[in-house]
Amino acid sequence: MSQPLEIATKRKIFLVGNPNVGKSVLFNALTGAYTTVSNYPGTSVEIARGEATIAGTTYEVLDTPGMYGLQPMTEEERVSQRILLQEEAFAVIHVIDARNLERMLPMTVQLIEAGLPLILVVNIIDEAERMGIAIDIALLQQRLVIPVIAAATAHKRGLDEIRTAISSFAGGRHPAYAYAPDLERDILRLAVQLHGDYRVDRRALALLFLLRDEETMALVHRIEGESAAAIAETAKEIIFSHRSDLHLRLSMERKRICTELLADVVSNTPRQGRTFGEKLSALTMNPWTGVPILLAVLYFGLYQFVGIFGAGTVVGLLEGDLFSDIINPWFISTADRFIPWLWLHELLVGEYGILTLAVRYAVALVMPIVGTFFVAFSILEDSGYFPRLAMLVDRIFKAIGLNGRAVIPMVLGFGCDTMATIVTRTLETTRERVIATVLLALAIPCSAQLGVILALLAGVPGALLIWTIVMCVIFLFVGFLTARLLPGERPMFYMEIPPLRLPQLRNVVVKTLTRMQWYFLEIFPLFILASVVLWAGKMTGALESLVRFLAPGMTLLGLPEDVAAVFVFGFFRRDFGAAGLFDMNEQGLLSPVQLTVAAVTLTLFVPCVAQFLMMKKERGWKVALIIFAAVTASAFGVGWLLNIFLLSMGWLT
Amino acid sequence: MKCAFCGWEIDEKQIGQSERCGQCPGGCRKVHCPHCGYANPVVPGYLQRWMKKEDDDPVT
Repeated sequence: MSQPLEIATKRKIFLVGNPNVGKSVLFNALTGAYTTVSNYPGTSVEIARGEATIAGTTYEVLDTPGMYGLQPMTEEERVSQRILLQEEAFAVIHVIDARNLERMLPMTVQLIEAGLPLILVVNIIDEAERMGIAIDIALLQQRLVIPVIAAATAHKRGLDEIRTAISSFAGGRHPAYAYAPDLERDILRLAVQLHGDYRVDRRALALLFLLRDEETMALVHRIEGESAAAIAETAKEIIFSHRSDLHLRLSMERKRICTELLADVVSNTPRQGRTFGEKLSALTMNPWTGVPILLAVLYFGLYQFVGIFGAGTVVGLLEGDLFSDIINPWFISTADRFIPWLWLHELLVGEYGILTLAVRYAVALVMPIVGTFFVAFSILEDSGYFPRLAMLVDRIFKAIGLNGRAVIPMVLGFGCDTMATIVTRTLETTRERVIATVLLALAIPCSAQLGVILALLAGVPGALLIWTIVMCVIFLFVGFLTARLLPGERPMFYMEIPPLRLPQLRNVVVKTLTRMQWYFLEIFPLFILASVVLWAGKMTGALESLVRFLAPGMTLLGLPEDVAAVFVFGFFRRDFGAAGLFDMNEQGLLSPVQLTVAAVTLTLFVPCVAQFLMMKKERGWKVALIIFAAVTASAFGVGWLLNIFLLSMGWLT
Repeated sequence: MKCAFCGWEIDEKQIGQSERCGQCPGGCRKVHCPHCGYANPVVPGYLQRWMKKEDDDPVT
């Protein structure tokens, strides 16, 4: 079916550039809300299209996948290249990062060489200015002979200038940048053999052909037909005659061209030393200062704020004063009056009742703890501390077969180990993924579990220190052992560190509320379900049998038999188990040694059902079951040894 | 949105497209950064509207 004339002849604008330079922000700013996303024909790569009306003319805008140059390495880049080489553009807007002009300008040179109708947007100019980088936009425009606009699209700066540049754009030819004479001769030798009708300059096509770019070779074969074999033969001779790496040679030539283009264009205003943020950033990554900073963060952020304030003060108010003294007695007395059936009475307000257990655990115990945890987490996240933590622990993690990248699943594990297990797939090798999965299952408690344990142990002098030492030793020992059992490569870790910044109150509030809302929606139904299952277990006697079955294990650990129920709770959800331990301690059922042993064993104890299912999904049945068995054995083995050790040393007694 | 870990600009189109663990009732509320894998929470609608309102009418 033929398209309406208006659509068929609509002028096209392609947005191109490296990933993460603000192309999509510009796309959204130009097109507004009405955009469509569809796979590029014959590929699984998604392309966003939208319409922009500028000075009365409607343009079709395409947001192409990020690319680093005209020669593609990935399927996404291949699609971007295909769009540039084969589709008719009214204007190609190349978006580059003002902070990395030298690195990004070679692609601009390539696009100019290709004869594409180019507009250059030097984006993120505000950050560059803050860094003391000054760019003479007028001089750059004069040298490139294309429109050049300074912009900060995220802050709407430069958008009007971009629209004006589009509406007044006339296209036109651009200067060709000369390479070394021998290269120029060879490029010309190949370019003159291209006689077909191409959308881009033949010289640029010849260059890509010499670099053995598959898309270009296929295009030339398709268009040149029988002559293609002769062209390929010429290219082969040229490549052979150079012997040295042609890629490297061309890159060096483009670098030279860019250096000449940027002479006097970019100037760095000398600053008096580094800023406070930069100094602090360096301190957080230096092992001598970074470790004390980390300990301070853990002490104030986790222990004082989450453990003492959240799990102590706020839980005390909600759980002790509100639920135990007012809400639960009212529930129970009301149920006593109106519910004569034992099973329903038990289901609602019994030992494992929905109202007296599930609601109380979710609202009075878990919410204050995860709430304060998420506040601390959001502050650290918004400050940009986590990537620095990754750099700091990189060396330690290498000893256990991981690298700094594994900080991501580990940090996320404090929020939810199940989700963190899926994130292990971002690690490069299977070996790393297995090691990280084991450590998540064994030694990384979730936030609520951690908060409850901090609050419980804070009341026993020395207990928290013992728990911390045991967890660190186990983490490193198991990691070290697993890394030895699974030999393999240790991939390098490098990442671009975003700037350290003062956390923004609004960001912290939004992130905290977001996480709390999702967490509550997630745990509330599960807590109710766990409560119903435990109620059913109690009514049928199955729970008692299970507790009896686990009782010998509890005796070995020196714990009261009733603590078995806490481990059953913990298998439903880690936070549910921790809340159970909190209850038992409140009832005065545990001595300091028992509390410490129970806290250590429960932290190490088997992952919850959801995490186990995720391990099975990610690593398969065999590995998941091995991890399950190893974690269970380690948890009870360490608990048993710790109990013997503490009793023999007479500590905490 | 920007990744809270590495600062990568995450395409709005990728929200809801990332790999899910399938364990959360009501569906996944995370956007995994395509660059580093960090799980960024999806801000609920009412908070997005509040932020947009703040952006449109900045209090000076």
